[in-house]
Amino acid sequence: MDETVAEFIKRTILKIPMNELTTILKAWDFLSENQLQTVNFRQRKESVVQHLIHLCEEKRASLSDAALLDIICEDVDLFDMKQFKNSFKKILQRALKNVTVSFRETEENAVWIRIAWGTQYTKPNQYKPTYVVYYSQTPYAFMSSSMLRRNTPLLGQALTVASKHHQIVKMDLRSRYLDSLKAIVFKQYNQTFETHNSTTPLQERSLGLDINMDSRIIHENIVEKERVQRITQETFGDYPQPQLEFAQYKLETKFKSGLNGSILAEREEPLRCLIKFSSPHLLEALKSLAPAGIADAPLSPLLTCIPNKRMNYFKIRDK
Amino acid sequence: MAGILAPGLGVLAHLERLETQVSRSRKQSEELQSVQAQEGALGTKIHKLRRLRDELRAAVRHRRASVKACIANVEPNQTVEINEQEALEEKLGNVKAILQAYHFTGLSGKLTSRGVCVCINTAFEGNLLDSYFVDLVIQKPLRIHHHSVPVFIPLEEIAAKYLQTNIQHFLFSLCEYLNAYSGRKYQADRLQSDFAALLTGPLQRNPLCNLLSFTYKLDPGGQSFPFCARLLYKDLTATLPTDVTVTCQGVEALSTSWEEQRASHETLFCTKPLHQVFASFARKGEKLDMSLVS
Repeated sequence: MDETVAEFIKRTILKIPMNELTTILKAWDFLSENQLQTVNFRQRKESVVQHLIHLCEEKRASLSDAALLDIICEDVDLFDMKQFKNSFKKILQRALKNVTVSFRETEENAVWIRIAWGTQYTKPNQYKPTYVVYYSQTPYAFMSSSMLRRNTPLLGQALTVASKHHQIVKMDLRSRYLDSLKAIVFKQYNQTFETHNSTTPLQERSLGLDINMDSRIIHENIVEKERVQRITQETFGDYPQPQLEFAQYKLETKFKSGLNGSILAEREEPLRCLIKFSSPHLLEALKSLAPAGIADAPLSPLLTCIPNKRMNYFKIRDK
Repeated sequence: MAGILAPGLGVLAHLERLETQVSRSRKQSEELQSVQAQEGALGTKIHKLRRLRDELRAAVRHRRASVKACIANVEPNQTVEINEQEALEEKLGNVKAILQAYHFTGLSGKLTSRGVCVCINTAFEGNLLDSYFVDLVIQKPLRIHHHSVPVFIPLEEIAAKYLQTNIQHFLFSLCEYLNAYSGRKYQADRLQSDFAALLTGPLQRNPLCNLLSFTYKLDPGGQSFPFCARLLYKDLTATLPTDVTVTCQGVEALSTSWEEQRASHETLFCTKPLHQVFASFARKGEKLDMSLVS
């Protein structure tokens, strides 16, 4: 048996909890009943694993046998809404006596959770609830920001345990539009695909330039205009942009200047400043900058990476 | 000649007569000359005109002939062009139809400016179901530009395992997951839409359709106890459940016939697609009704 195969099987078996080990090995159906009977499953895990590897070697396990074991061990999310709701509520109620939790399921496999927070001694404040939207069988939840900071870890724990995940990480993405957040987080904002059935061949589509069709008018900078249009289309695509209101950049960088002897450039400590872009529809505004002649194309990647990196709050430090 | 009898008169008259004869004949010959000259001139004119006429006739003939020749040359070419055009249109139609037919193979693609856009058409039991797209950028490393795969399908895991080393395996694995998901979803949808009469409560399902629980009765409106079924599909590449539990609500200890039924239902759910199991329940129910009526 190949060393890599042995290593692979060893690592796979190590991931299996002891109480499930026999079930999984039986489901795998590679080692015979007789072989399995020779294994003492009460030993320490390492010894059990070693014995099993030895048996696999005897039977000459191949890579496809190992792959089959991997499939069987896959951590499949069997989401049960009832279980989730019970588990979530229990965790919050055990930690905080005074808390109101309500659920509402919606059509797109989302469950809306409303939590009114109290303390050990005070009743829950119904006027400042937190709303959470959890999309089952995805590792994402969306939280409203109307929440006291001290309850954040508890809420995170409740979500993690109830959804059977290991940890929760906060994303630097904020917006008032849940649909846009969803589109960015689930990477669903671009849903145009080239097929043989499409009636508009992509190459022949007009660039959407507002150029007069009158041939007596000549635009001197037509080449540049077309270049800008092409770059904008490659960067932003043809789809409607998700709606965000802000992009915030926290800079902690040293001042860079072409002039020597500038006071700011001589500072040892990095400068700290905050740059905030606001707009009713930030990404559409950014998209229109170059065609309007306000900015050069291509735009800075710090601006264009927002949907791709799923962030609109950045911290930039010198490397 | 008259006699010399009228000696003076006769000679003079005679001379006179001779003079007039001469002048007359002179005149006549002059006239004749001019007429002849005129005749000659006219004659030449006629010749000229005839010549001109002949030239013009020849020119007309030549023109007509060359036009005819032109037409004769053009006409056969035009018909050839029309035939070629029809042939090309037919070919184009055939190719388009073939490209559309590729959808039925389940996996097709179209080259894009940056790579390829793969289309996965899922199907279950001969029914064409949803299509999903993966737009790949052909670069080192190969990457997914954008896609329409649902969030709960482990696309990133599959890509991490196979995309860089074996793209065939990547596509095959993704097809497996998507077809299995589509099949499970189809079964759950059919159960909800076609057999709602046999269900005694709403069907509980999750996004992946890999955990279904429902309660059902074989004789809706009848006195029998409802069954509770819980189907787990731990293998996301399969359309049949890996674990099935059927219990009977409200009965502590089941009679043997109920127990047999319960066990047989468990087996049925494990081996047949969900909606087919219910179809067989419905048929059995019909048989019962028929027997009651007769």
